[in-house]
Amino acid sequence: MRIDTCYFCSSKIYPGHGVHFVRNDCKIFKFCRGKCHKAFKKKKNPRKVAWTKAHRKAAGKELTIDPSFEFEKRRNVPIKYNRDTWQKAITAIKKVTEIKERREKHFVMERLRKGRQVEIQMDVKDVQRNMSLIRSPAAGLRERRAKEEAEEDALMDEDLPEEKITYVDARELEKRLEEGMTEADLEMLES
Amino acid sequence: MGMVQKRKKMHYGDTHLQRRWRVRNRRRDLDQIDEDMRTRSGELINQSVDLDKPGFAQFYCVHCAKYFIDDRSMQAHFRTKVHKRRLKALETEPYSIEESERAAGRGSFKQPKKRVIETQPSKEEAKAGKRIKIEEKPEDSNDMEEDAPTTSAKKTRKRAKKAET
Repeated sequence: MRIDTCYFCSSKIYPGHGVHFVRNDCKIFKFCRGKCHKAFKKKKNPRKVAWTKAHRKAAGKELTIDPSFEFEKRRNVPIKYNRDTWQKAITAIKKVTEIKERREKHFVMERLRKGRQVEIQMDVKDVQRNMSLIRSPAAGLRERRAKEEAEEDALMDEDLPEEKITYVDARELEKRLEEGMTEADLEMLES
Repeated sequence: MGMVQKRKKMHYGDTHLQRRWRVRNRRRDLDQIDEDMRTRSGELINQSVDLDKPGFAQFYCVHCAKYFIDDRSMQAHFRTKVHKRRLKALETEPYSIEESERAAGRGSFKQPKKRVIETQPSKEEAKAGKRIKIEEKPEDSNDMEEDAPTTSAKKTRKRAKKAET
């Protein structure tokens, strides 16, 4: 009895399940269910289909490089049956799978934690950008305006009445100055 | 009985699709084409006369696994979108059974390699000994730098795990 792996989604195929397809160059493609078989018939690339293991690993969603993956492997080396090795293998398998699962979980949690940080940053940015939705820029506008007006009024009251300014033609003034008039005389003229 | 006796047709009107997906209509897969390109591009470009094939098997596009009736139509094909799309698809290493096993956790997963693919040489060039060559795209130095620290971090983590156990 052997548990195969699906060609398309890399899941386990238990005995009595799935379909084998033998291509005319003798390569055997094993599929866990109709979904995977159909996708193969449509020549879909498993790397580009999000629900497959190949996609998840290629996209960095799951742990890929780890020595714990090196235990279970097709080696194509015949080993003679030996009760001791068999027993050792059984205990080792249990331990290895336990460690492997823990590492995979750890990897995913690390990844999600990073995502959480990014999420928080994005939230802060979002709030800053859309502050106007939370608190209207017009909130308290009337009070602010009333305050400004009051300040202006206070300033106006403080101002002293302006000095009286008289405008004189510059040419005439020069002429008169040349004629030898003093400033006192000028003042007299104006009044 | 008052039930509806007629079977509901779920896939009504997709006969043309079902026909296309039939096994007898299978064309060469990308991994087979990849094998062709690497090992027997010369003999595929210069095939002996086969009266059953279009153009007597004299005009064959290795990338698209397709026969043409004359050189003109083949040259026109090299300029089409179909052909260019195929070249693009062949740029990454094709998916294989081994990769599906690696993805399942039997052996460490390797990222598919990127390659540079060019249209096949002409018949005369192939006769002169020119073959389709597949060059590996030089990887960016950034990727290498990224890889190094992650592995080291994993190693330290692994050590911590061992201490726990």
